[in-house]
Amino acid sequence: MGLQPTYEPPKIAVKLLSLVCKNNLFEEIEGDLYEYYQSQREEKSKRVANLHYWFHMFNFIRPFAIKKLGQNSNTIIMYRSYFKFAWRGMLRQKLQTSFHLLGLIVAFCVCGFIYSHIKYESSYDSFLDNADDIYRVAWMSENPQTRTPHPMAQALVNDFPEVIDAVSISPIYGPGLTKTTIPLRNEKRDVGFSEPNGYFADSTFFDVFSFKAVEGNADKALRKPFGIILSESMAKRYFGDEEAVGQTLSFMGNPDMLEVAAVVEDAPKNSHFHYNFIISYVTLKSLQFNDPWMSWDDFGHFNYLKLAPGTEAKAFEAKIPDWAPKYLDWGEESLASLKAGDLKFELQPVQSIHLHSNIRWELEANGSYSYLLIYGISALFILLISIINFVNLNTAKAAQRLKEVGVKKTLGAYKSQVFSQFIFEALFTTFLALVLSFVAMYMLEAPFNQLVNGNVSVADLYQADIILLLLSIAIITALLSAIYPSLYLNSFEAGQILKGLKLSKLGGNNIRNGLLAVQLIAAIVMISGSLVIKHQITFLKEKDLGFKQDNLMVLEVDGYDPRTKLVKTELLKNSAVSGITAVSNIPGGQFNQHPIYAENNPSERVDASEMFVDDDVAEVLGLKVSDGRMLSKAYAADSAGRSFVLNQSAINQLNLTDPIGKQLVWQDNENLVKGTIVGTVEDFHFRSLHEPIRPMIMLMQPLNSNFMLVKVNPTDLSQTVSKIEADYKEIIADGQFSYQFLDTEIQDLYKEESRTLKLITLLSAISILLACGGLLGIISIVIKQRVKEISIRKIMGASASQILWLMNFKYLLIAGVSLLIAVPVSVYFMKDWLSNFTYQIGIDPLAYVLTAIAVLFLIGFTITLISMKTVKSNPVNALRSE
Amino acid sequence: MKGTQLGEFEELVLLVVGVLFPEAYGLNIREEIINQTKRKVAIGAVHSALSRLDEKGFLESELAEGTHERGGRRKRLFKITASGKQALERNHELRNTLFNQIPEMALKIV
Repeated sequence: MGLQPTYEPPKIAVKLLSLVCKNNLFEEIEGDLYEYYQSQREEKSKRVANLHYWFHMFNFIRPFAIKKLGQNSNTIIMYRSYFKFAWRGMLRQKLQTSFHLLGLIVAFCVCGFIYSHIKYESSYDSFLDNADDIYRVAWMSENPQTRTPHPMAQALVNDFPEVIDAVSISPIYGPGLTKTTIPLRNEKRDVGFSEPNGYFADSTFFDVFSFKAVEGNADKALRKPFGIILSESMAKRYFGDEEAVGQTLSFMGNPDMLEVAAVVEDAPKNSHFHYNFIISYVTLKSLQFNDPWMSWDDFGHFNYLKLAPGTEAKAFEAKIPDWAPKYLDWGEESLASLKAGDLKFELQPVQSIHLHSNIRWELEANGSYSYLLIYGISALFILLISIINFVNLNTAKAAQRLKEVGVKKTLGAYKSQVFSQFIFEALFTTFLALVLSFVAMYMLEAPFNQLVNGNVSVADLYQADIILLLLSIAIITALLSAIYPSLYLNSFEAGQILKGLKLSKLGGNNIRNGLLAVQLIAAIVMISGSLVIKHQITFLKEKDLGFKQDNLMVLEVDGYDPRTKLVKTELLKNSAVSGITAVSNIPGGQFNQHPIYAENNPSERVDASEMFVDDDVAEVLGLKVSDGRMLSKAYAADSAGRSFVLNQSAINQLNLTDPIGKQLVWQDNENLVKGTIVGTVEDFHFRSLHEPIRPMIMLMQPLNSNFMLVKVNPTDLSQTVSKIEADYKEIIADGQFSYQFLDTEIQDLYKEESRTLKLITLLSAISILLACGGLLGIISIVIKQRVKEISIRKIMGASASQILWLMNFKYLLIAGVSLLIAVPVSVYFMKDWLSNFTYQIGIDPLAYVLTAIAVLFLIGFTITLISMKTVKSNPVNALRSE
Repeated sequence: MKGTQLGEFEELVLLVVGVLFPEAYGLNIREEIINQTKRKVAIGAVHSALSRLDEKGFLESELAEGTHERGGRRKRLFKITASGKQALERNHELRNTLFNQIPEMALKIV
């Protein structure tokens, strides 16, 4: 057989084999496979032969043939020994190791949680298809609001090609714009609830909001009058597991009025509004519902647009002022200010609503961007403090490893190898901390969510970008902490070290002290900041609101129900009830508003929030009448709703002097109500303290009562409540008895503040503990090097306090410098933060004094604690051996 | 050192090494096994058995010159060692003894 050309087996397979196969077996194995391949190629196609080759190649991946890790590789053996060194080193100094780890774990946990929280808060509405192109039209005036006219949505679609879809929706409001509940009932199963979160919507709702139908066809559902769309969870409550589509629901006592047209998935938690049911505007229009509410005059609906992809929202927004006058039946003056931009229709990206909008009549409470910012900065500070700790301690420890480096070098280690060992050890620690922090996060997830009422989920952190970020933080931390000691220790000759070179001084003091100062600055900013925040929040929670909120039960009632009046008389018989008033809106809730003006001065008009009240409102709420009288049924004009009581802000803004008896016009849409001002009340905070007190008008319209405020005696509360319930049920047997307490409702306005307060307290405590812990670590190392010095000083006659002062002085100096830098920074940022609030307590210098004292004391305490042992020990012990 | 027991497949390989003397190496051992026993055997399986037999001291090997059809790579030629021979004999004997102890009855029934 001559030398025929041979066939080349698949290159990749050969390469792969050479990678995994033991070197001494490789030649024969490859040879056998090669020979085998030749014979296969003679008989079969190349493809089949290749396949066979691959098969047999993989068949060689058996224990006998593959390289054993570490057996033949110096590199592997070396890293294995590094691992051992790292592990033994950690075990040798358990306290230091656990502190190292703990600091990093805490920092990683805090960052993980805060990141997850921020991510959740900023993920609102991003689940919508085309979320980037969906905008809400808001009305920007002096007092901006979310609501705009109903016909606007469709007009925009018709007139502008860049608007693909638009929808107008509105929550079903009760009288006076309260969030109302609608009694719905499934007669067949006899299940009924007072259902909150009902919405009216255009038939185009699902073109803009991509919620998916679970049952039925959502697109068609809103075109039919008397159709209702239910959320999945609501359908379950009314129809159980039955098919809901095609069944009927009774609506406010009208039997089987609505037919279920579709069931739609629940809106995710991070949606800026949540619906239980949706009724089409078509239904309203089919009822010949000729209300001005549906016209261009009423800014009473939420309009959402879907723009064509790539449309510049700002450019589009600029076209609106030229377009809108076509529809708006306004005076010259208003149109001029629309053109000038004083009044403006603004497009709010739907994803920014939750964090950035926060204007009047949001569908649900918004989040707060400024608090998120505070959380984020705090987390970064803690990470910084903890990284500095790690770096500082690692560098301070370097001197202890001098001998080890000496021996290694004598045995032939290159500089790069010593270097890589230090890096490896640091990496080992940071990675271990990273892994442990995930374990810790899983354990702390539930308690943390409970504490801050959050929605943090550790599972959300498993994303490539976050993992990558955490890994790079771990790597950078490790590198920073390893570079200094390895360079420093590498700089000595091996022989020198082994001959007994003593490091007279631990190098890098300046860097370390600088880093220490950075830590302290971060901690001081956080502590003083949290004190200021605490002051402000306590101030908000405890400020006198101008009315009494304690022991007030809020009953939901229906003013149109004639029996409601009976409830009041019946409940008043209860000795534990000291007063009752029926009102349309409760303090802390939403208020409708309309313009008012003095009859003789129509040009000076202001928007006033309105509250429909009855006789006893001033007594029950403890309002102070500053002039004239409160409303009373005894006056015919009062009962007819033609007497008004204004608050002081309204009087001021209308520039009225001597208001009592003046004629006032209340412009209830097209309906001009003329009446007399009979009294004024002092301003009270009927909205949250995030907003200034605005003008308010009170008048009587008993039909519009939504709530009864019942002043109860706090002793024996549960019995009183059940008595009230029984009385109520006796009169209104078919109604639902639901109540809250006013003070808890008002506390709810400050949920975000309460959470921030808890979180910021926790975070600043962590920061100072970490900073002090780091200091403790450094001092304990530094003091070991100064044992001889201290002993000699003692022998020469220094007292314990002198030595302690010596130890403390430098660090107290650093703390002092840190304070000098941190306080102005903190004052600057806190001033900025406080300016977000309408009502501010201002910055209390005491906060900074307290911070300074606390920081100096903690540092002194830490140092004294750690030096005490050395100072007290017998100097001879330290000096005897050399 | 691992035990010096001879597994079933190992025994087979060891026998074939003997059969192919002096030209026994991985690939032709596999071919011989396939031809004689009609079993499907991967090349890796044969090598694995050879390396175990080598460890147990039943085989010795040397590298032969490379040939053209192997792309110039050398092959490892295997020979049975004395202890390999003993192990084979022991197995052979054990089987015979056991076989002879089976009563005639038992075989008849089958």
